[in-house]
Amino acid sequence: MRLVILTIFCLLLAGTAGVAAYFLPVVVAGVGQTGQTVVVPPSNSPGGKATPTPNAAPGAPFTVLLLGSDDDGKNKSPLTQSMILVRVDPVGKHVTMLSIPRDLWVPLSTGGSAKIDAAYAIGGPVAAIATVERNFHVHIDEYAWVGLTGLIKLIDLLGGVDVFVTNPVLDDAYPDDINGGFLYGYKTVAVLPGAQHLDGAHALQYVRSRHNDINGDFGRSARQQEVLLAMKVKASTLNAADLPDIVSALNGKFKTSMGLDRVRSLLGVANAFDLANVKQIVLYAGLYTSYDHGAAYGGASVIIPHWSQILAVTRENFP
Amino acid sequence: MILRRIAAILFLPMMFAFGSGVYLYLGTLKSKVIKTRADLPTVTKPRLVLPGTMFVVQDGRLFKLKDGGFSEIGGPGDWSQPTLTPDHTRLVAVLRNGYSSDLYLLDLDGHIVKRLTKNDSRIVDYNHWAFYPRVSPDGSTLYYSYDGPKHVDSAPGDDLSIWSMPLNGAQYQARRRTDPYWYTGGDVSPLPLAGTALLYVQHSIDPSTAVHSQIRLQSRTGDLVGKPLTGLADDCSQPALSPDGTQLAMICTGGKQTARLEVAPFNGTSLGPARILLDGGLYASPAWSPDGQALAYFAPSGAAGHFELWWLAVPAPRILGVGRGRRLVDRRPLAAGDPRAGAGHAGRRPQCDLAPRLVLSKP
Repeated sequence: MRLVILTIFCLLLAGTAGVAAYFLPVVVAGVGQTGQTVVVPPSNSPGGKATPTPNAAPGAPFTVLLLGSDDDGKNKSPLTQSMILVRVDPVGKHVTMLSIPRDLWVPLSTGGSAKIDAAYAIGGPVAAIATVERNFHVHIDEYAWVGLTGLIKLIDLLGGVDVFVTNPVLDDAYPDDINGGFLYGYKTVAVLPGAQHLDGAHALQYVRSRHNDINGDFGRSARQQEVLLAMKVKASTLNAADLPDIVSALNGKFKTSMGLDRVRSLLGVANAFDLANVKQIVLYAGLYTSYDHGAAYGGASVIIPHWSQILAVTRENFP
Repeated sequence: MILRRIAAILFLPMMFAFGSGVYLYLGTLKSKVIKTRADLPTVTKPRLVLPGTMFVVQDGRLFKLKDGGFSEIGGPGDWSQPTLTPDHTRLVAVLRNGYSSDLYLLDLDGHIVKRLTKNDSRIVDYNHWAFYPRVSPDGSTLYYSYDGPKHVDSAPGDDLSIWSMPLNGAQYQARRRTDPYWYTGGDVSPLPLAGTALLYVQHSIDPSTAVHSQIRLQSRTGDLVGKPLTGLADDCSQPALSPDGTQLAMICTGGKQTARLEVAPFNGTSLGPARILLDGGLYASPAWSPDGQALAYFAPSGAAGHFELWWLAVPAPRILGVGRGRRLVDRRPLAAGDPRAGAGHAGRRPQCDLAPRLVLSKP
C-alpha cells in the first residue's frame, strides 16, 4: 500500500514538474510583463475626473487601453502610435473600440499640453492612462502595450491574419526601420485591396502606413481596428497550452497591467464574442479641427478636439 | 534494503519520463493555428478534376492546374496576378521586388518572353508599382494599374491609375486612362471590353470620409472618370466578366469586413439586379469557367482557416438564395521531401494576392 501511495505521489510530483517546466516561460513573463502596477494619481485639473476608482469586479464590464509603439529606437521613450480604448462586456458579450488620434492636442497628466502620443513617452502607462481618463472622462481598468516587433511576432504566431483591405495602401515613405540599419530609412510599400492573408510584417505595413491615406491618422486607426478584430478571430482558437508560445513571441515587447488570470480569461472571452457585437468608433471629421505646422503647437501638425462632441461619444459608449 | 534502493534508482528515470511525457502532452494541446504555421507551400492534389487549365499563385509561385494536377511554372520570385492573352498562348503576370513591381509576358510554362515594364530604381522615390494586368479582347493592348503620376506636393504617396500600352510595344507608349480620387489608393482591376470600353474599380470617399470601392464603366477613351455601375455604399470590386460578356461576378462588402459574391447581368452599359451567391465570408478573386457555368474563387475555410481554392456552380438566374462552394483543393502541406517545398520560398506573402484564371482545354 505504501508503495502504491509513494508511486502515485512520485508520479504527481513528476507530472507537476512537467507542467511547471511547460509553463515556466509564462510564469517568468507573468512576473516581468503582466500584472504591471499602475496607480493613477487624482486629477488636479478643474473638471477632471478623480481617479482611481476600483477596478471592475469579475464579470463586470471593464475598459482596456491598448497602446502600440514604434519602439524602433528613434525616441528614447517610445511614442504611442496607436491608442485604442476597448470596453469589454463579458456578460453582454459586447465590445466597443474607440481609436484615439495620436495627433490630438491635449493637456497631459504630467503637466503642459502636447500631442496625446507623448503621454506614454513622458510618463509611461500611468501618464497615458491618466491623460486619457481626464480628457475623455472614462475610467480605465487595464492597459496593454505592445511594440512593433512584438506585434509582428504575435501575428506570425497566429499564422497571419485575414482582413478585407478596403482600398490600396501605397506609401512611398514607409519606415524601413525594423530589421536594423538606418533608423530613418524608408521604402515603398503596397498593400492591395480585397481579402488578404497578411503575415506579421505585411499586417504591420497595413496598420502603420499613413502617408497616402485621405483620412490621415484616422484612416490608419480604422485599419488598426480591422487588424485587431482579425487577430481576435484567430485568438478565439487559442487555449492555455498556447501561452508559452505567445509569451515567447512577445518577449520584452509586451506589458500589461492585467494578471495572467485575466489574460487567460480574455482568451475565453474572445472565443465567445461575435464580430457583429463589436462596435468600432473612429473619430472622423467634425469632431476635431486640424492644424498643420501651427506655431502655437511647436510647428507640429495637430488635431484640436471638439470636446463637447467627443465627450458625447464617450459618454454613450463608455458609461 | 538494496532492493529498495535499486527500485528507487529505477524509479527516477520513470519519473523523468512521466514528467517529460506530461510536458510533451501539453504541447499537443496547442491550438491548430499555433501547431500548423503555414510556412510550407500548400498546393496539393485537387479534389475535383476540372476541364481546362487554371493558373494560380501561391506564396509568390506560379502554378498550373491541369488534368487534376498542379505543376509549378515560372522562375523564382514573387509572382502574382497572372492573366491570359485572349488567344490563350501567353500569360502576363506581376513580379514584385521589395520596392516595386513589373509586368512580364510569359509563355504557358512560365518562361519569360519579355519584360513589359521597368519600374525599379536605385532611388527609392523613383520606384513604381504596376498591378492588375489585363489584355484587351483583340489582344493588342495591355491594361494595368500604375502609380503615376506621383504626387507633386509634399505627401510621400501616390495613387494607382489605369494605364494602357501596346502589348507588343514599349512602356514609353503607355497612356493614362483614368483619373483617380487622390489619396484613396486609386483605380484598380481594369477589365477591357470589346472596342475601347473599360470596366475598372475606383476608390473614393463619401461625405463622412469613409472610403468606398465602386465598379465603373469608361465607354470612351478620354473619359478619365467612368460611369458608376454599382452603388457607393455597396463597396463592390474585383469584377469578372463571364465568357459571353453577359454576367459580371463581383465581390461586395457594404463597408463590412465580410463579403458577398454577387453576379449581375451586364448589357454592355449597365448592370441588372445582382444575385448574391455567397455571403458572410472573405471571398476573393472570382474567375469564370470557360462555359460560364461556374466560378472559382478564394476564401478561408472557417473563421481562422487559411485561404483555399473553391469552385461554385452558378445557379440559373431564377434560382435565388445563398449557396456554398465546393472546396477544390485540400490544404495539407506538401511533404518535407517534396521538391516544391521551400524552393524559391522567400517568406510568406499575402496568399490571396492571387487571381485564378480559367481557360478552355486545347482541342
